[in-house]
Amino acid sequence: MQLSTSPDPTARISIRGLSKFYKDYLALDRIDLDISKGEKIVVLGPSGSGKSTFIRCLNRIEPHDSGVLMIDGHVIDDRTDLTALRGSVGMVFQNYNLFPHLSVLDNCTLAPRLVRGITKSDAEATARRYLSQVNIAEQAEKFPIQLSGGQQQRVAIARALCMNPEIILFDEPTAALDPESISGIVGIMRDLADQGITTVCVTHEMGFARHIADRIVFMDRGAVLEVTPPEEFFTAPRTERARTFLAQMIRH
Amino acid sequence: MLAAALLALAVLLPAAHALADDLPSFVHDGQLTLCTNPTLPPMTFVNGSDTNALAGMDIDLARRLAAYWHVALIPQTMDFEGLFPSLSAQRCGMVISGVLRQAGRLRNYDAVAYLDSTVVAVARVGTPKIREMADLSGQTVAVQSGTSYAAQIERENDRLRASGRPPIILQQYPTEDQVVQQVLIGRVHAFISQDVELYYRQKQLGGKVTIILTPDYPDFHQFAVYIRKDSRDSALLQKAIDELSQKGEIAAMAKKWGISGDHQSVFTERNAPSRFDFATFFGALFSTAFLKGAALTLVIALLSHLTAIAISIPMAMKLNGRDSIIRRLLGLYVAVFRGAPTLLQLLFIWNALPQFFPIFREHWFTPFLATWLSLSINESAYQVEINRAALRAVDPGQVLAADALGMTTAQTYRHVIFPQALRIALPPTINEFISLLKTTSLASVISLQELLAVTQIQVARTFQFTEYYAAALVYYLAMVFFFLFLQKRIERRFIWADRNKASADAA
Repeated sequence: MQLSTSPDPTARISIRGLSKFYKDYLALDRIDLDISKGEKIVVLGPSGSGKSTFIRCLNRIEPHDSGVLMIDGHVIDDRTDLTALRGSVGMVFQNYNLFPHLSVLDNCTLAPRLVRGITKSDAEATARRYLSQVNIAEQAEKFPIQLSGGQQQRVAIARALCMNPEIILFDEPTAALDPESISGIVGIMRDLADQGITTVCVTHEMGFARHIADRIVFMDRGAVLEVTPPEEFFTAPRTERARTFLAQMIRH
Repeated sequence: MLAAALLALAVLLPAAHALADDLPSFVHDGQLTLCTNPTLPPMTFVNGSDTNALAGMDIDLARRLAAYWHVALIPQTMDFEGLFPSLSAQRCGMVISGVLRQAGRLRNYDAVAYLDSTVVAVARVGTPKIREMADLSGQTVAVQSGTSYAAQIERENDRLRASGRPPIILQQYPTEDQVVQQVLIGRVHAFISQDVELYYRQKQLGGKVTIILTPDYPDFHQFAVYIRKDSRDSALLQKAIDELSQKGEIAAMAKKWGISGDHQSVFTERNAPSRFDFATFFGALFSTAFLKGAALTLVIALLSHLTAIAISIPMAMKLNGRDSIIRRLLGLYVAVFRGAPTLLQLLFIWNALPQFFPIFREHWFTPFLATWLSLSINESAYQVEINRAALRAVDPGQVLAADALGMTTAQTYRHVIFPQALRIALPPTINEFISLLKTTSLASVISLQELLAVTQIQVARTFQFTEYYAAALVYYLAMVFFFLFLQKRIERRFIWADRNKASADAA
């Protein structure tokens, strides 16, 4: 698929020539990508390929150095209102990063109350709704330390959902979990996609990539090498680098 | 009534103006300021449990001089070593504190003598008399630090060494009562003091000590009022003392305080052997003086620590940040104020600062403010390290998560970082506070009437060391135990950090 040289304002996310440097090291190398509404994108690639850096640019937790990033037709740069941007782009981390000093419920209500100015009771009602959606409503009063890894990641997803985002970025959400928990989280992620939330997920979870992703973005050394439907990627990868990567994934 | 008052003013005002020409320069703004160390009865001491109620020959003289010049007397109390630095720093106009007129001191200050005196060497009862100071060769002798007895003994030692004999071993203590106590408990052979002190102490010391020598030192014959060098001031002071002396007023003061008579007959009265006096102990424990002293200790420690915490939080954030000029300056600040002894910092701020900035010798700059300032600065240098470690211990993923939720930096610090850093910082911070609570006792050197200063003044008056020390100990321990208890209570609020406790709490 050949993209036009200018960004597409009708796409949910439109990226042209996105680059990022860490001093002299080129972390992201002229990435072009369009993501449409409700799409499920999985970013694959070996360690150090720039996957995490890439999705962190999407909510500007890592500012990019050159190129254009457009979300819903708005150019994202150093003049962007970060509070509004991050309200519409949620994020879930590998290590959950829940606030340990707050109860599950307070984890979910803190940002809506502070950032959105929602009242305590409204925020709690919303939080309980999303906590039920991720099947963890009964743990609302507990502290994160009392929960298992899988439970904590559910809370982290509910916390992101409480901001009513249109896009959720997943940064290796299952990497720290046991297989049983993984299937639970994968199920939740699929439900989100079904609700029309655009998801961009960095993962090593091949089952999710293969069966749920609309498209696979394969990255290596900061560059996007392939953007293909999963069936094609897993059966007939176009690049040698992708073939080696898949061979290694299968062997392990 | 009003008319009468106005008339009185009209009569008084010209008189006051006429007097102004004859006033010494250290008398101004209608005030005569006095520096004194009230631990030397009967010259200057606290007579009773109220530490502000100064008494003694010196205090009477100062009051009489103030009346003579028609001004108010403003006394300031401090350690003996602080007297002359305070005089130089223009913190007071004169020093009257049982200080002898001596050639060495006259190089830097002017002195006007007001009372004759004699040096005495005192030892425990039963100690044989000696013929000269050299007979103390090889013996240990105690004196009050900052007094000139030490220099005198050094001169004796030079002579002893020249003749190949062992020198007199010298011990110096900050208060006169501690000097005497060394002889009573048998740690030292003798102490050196003035006869007038012994007259007053007969009641406490009778039957326990004896004068073994009255050495004839030319430099130790007169008590004097000290002022900053100024020939006009000196002449005016001399004129005042001469007038009072001619009228017999000074002799009357000496008589009132029992400073007269034959010092050989002083120690005839016998005392009962000393035991722990519970009445004195409980009296001290529930006295307003101790309560006020403890309250002052607590308040100055709390204020200083709160100030230190307030300034050390932004400092810690800056120090954890990127390299910059400010960061290097803060690093230097921490190094200097952790490096220098707290006592030195207190003395510097109280005694040296006024020489650079005259504003610090004005009356608003009280010992309380000086202590607050120096302990806050000193404590912030320690607290900043605790804060730094606590802030660093918070997982960077927390900031990332708060960022991703759209929280501002201020919201992130307030709601995410600080609550977590607080848990880590709390135990070492309370530890620091307990340490600071005890460090406040150093402020007695700059005349803050905190708990230990109150204790020492009471001991100087009564010689009941054990009882007053015990009362002070009770106060310090009670305060420390309260804060340890508070720490335990606060730590219970951090159950979120402990899986087992959190679960037990939920169950």
